Amino acid sequence: MAPHRGGSVMIKLDGVTKIYGHDTLAVDDVSFDVAKGDFVFLVGPSGSGKSTLLRLMSREEVATEGDVWVAGRNVCEMPPSRVPFLRRSLGNIFQDYKLLLNKTVFENVAFALEVIGKPRHVIREQVPFVLELVGLADKSERFPNQLSGGEQQRVSIARAFVNRPLIMLADEPTGNLDPATSEGIMALLQAINETGTTVVMATHDHRVVNAMRRRVIQLDRGLVVRDQERGVYE
Amino acid sequence: MLARIEYALRETWASFRRNLTLTMAAVLTSAIALLLVGATFLIQRAFENLLVQWRGDVAMIVFVRSDASPEQVALIDGTLRAAPSVIDVDKLRYLDKAESYAEAQRIFLGDPVTLSLLTPETIPTQFKVVPLTEDTDLVRSLADQYRTLPGVEAVALAEDEFEVISTLSGFVRNVTLIMSLVLLAVAIGLIWNTIRTAMFARRREIEVMKLVGATNWFIRIPFMLEGLLQGLIGGVVSCAGVWALNSAWSGGVAAFKPGTGISSLVVPAGYLSGVMVVLLLLGAAIGAIGSAIAASRFLDV
Repeated sequence: MAPHRGGSVMIKLDGVTKIYGHDTLAVDDVSFDVAKGDFVFLVGPSGSGKSTLLRLMSREEVATEGDVWVAGRNVCEMPPSRVPFLRRSLGNIFQDYKLLLNKTVFENVAFALEVIGKPRHVIREQVPFVLELVGLADKSERFPNQLSGGEQQRVSIARAFVNRPLIMLADEPTGNLDPATSEGIMALLQAINETGTTVVMATHDHRVVNAMRRRVIQLDRGLVVRDQERGVYE
Repeated sequence: MLARIEYALRETWASFRRNLTLTMAAVLTSAIALLLVGATFLIQRAFENLLVQWRGDVAMIVFVRSDASPEQVALIDGTLRAAPSVIDVDKLRYLDKAESYAEAQRIFLGDPVTLSLLTPETIPTQFKVVPLTEDTDLVRSLADQYRTLPGVEAVALAEDEFEVISTLSGFVRNVTLIMSLVLLAVAIGLIWNTIRTAMFARRREIEVMKLVGATNWFIRIPFMLEGLLQGLIGGVVSCAGVWALNSAWSGGVAAFKPGTGISSLVVPAGYLSGVMVVLLLLGAAIGAIGSAIAASRFLDV
């Protein structure tokens, strides 16, 4: 199991089980802590429960049993009306980017601030700043279809980070990208992690895991089979 | 806060334009449904003008000459009260000149020529008689008897004037009411479907909004406003329609021969404005209902 580490706990899973429908066991009695500022890989084959764990953390799913604590709040007992406010402290990125194709790069990032009611002067200030951070300052008026896959993922990272989340949840962010582009994305996630943001990334990309040498939690058929500091994919 | 309101209005308008065909269908259906509702109100009110003098089971009206002496009025009153087995004396009512004049103003609303000839001084006063019996022959023979009393100008029987109109008005009311209700339900359904389609078209946007922490109300409100707007525009169109219909009808009625009763079938301007306000509110309500159902059910797209 994971060695004891200092710092406050940002995410805590306690005996979490998730069963879809009647009998599809996705996560089986999983417990682990993620400290503030940590960078964690969830690895394992397809269907091992990586994505389900991320969805439990952002409360797109509710655990069948056990408790999920995120940023000090038990998300399983959270009333639905509080969920949007939980999500504001999370940044989500996905394999398929989930960008809005009818909006420009700038508008896609601005949208995330707009829909949580941020005033326009904040948007005008923050959006160029994060676009600069992800290296897309010169493409802010482009549409997603005019960008490469790596650039689209950068836009999605900018959108996830623009609200300064405590935690980044990344579900196979390099799944559609070539190795060189993946490297750039990982460097960006690492830079974000260095600002103090906790990062949890589900992946089955050996190269990025082995290159980063960060904590690795390996899942197999819903069970944690390995939890290792500075781990590799195996 | 300002940013939120601005967002909601901008999104409402954008979505409204995007689904123009569906929106037009929803707006037109609402307008037609509301037009029928408005017409029902107006037709009922117009018929009431004819029926007002027969309200409350009145079956016989004894009109008293305007120049009748108080003794003659007292004699008529006494005669009517002398038949307690046939006439409900508790419900027997005497309308004096002022009351009769007020009533006449409703009956002859669409007939300014007749109305101008009437004054509170020259108008006949009247006794409203509610019979206890169902026997119309008995009532008719009583009427014949009263006609001979001094000071009586005329005796009118509901059977002769009222029944046909009453039946007609009841039938028209039922038909228009059922049609309005069905069309209102269709309008709500169409608005519901338009909003549902609008939400489906924007499911990716809604997904992203939920992902970054927009509240459900923030997501819903533009859609609900869109439905409200559709209903309200339907209401405005129906108001224009009701106004146009009423103007055409009132104009046509004025050309009728006075005394046929047709000229009573008009409504006062104040009532028309009241109906229009009701139609606008009703339009907003059906828009709000239709879109609220859609927005609460289809948020999980």
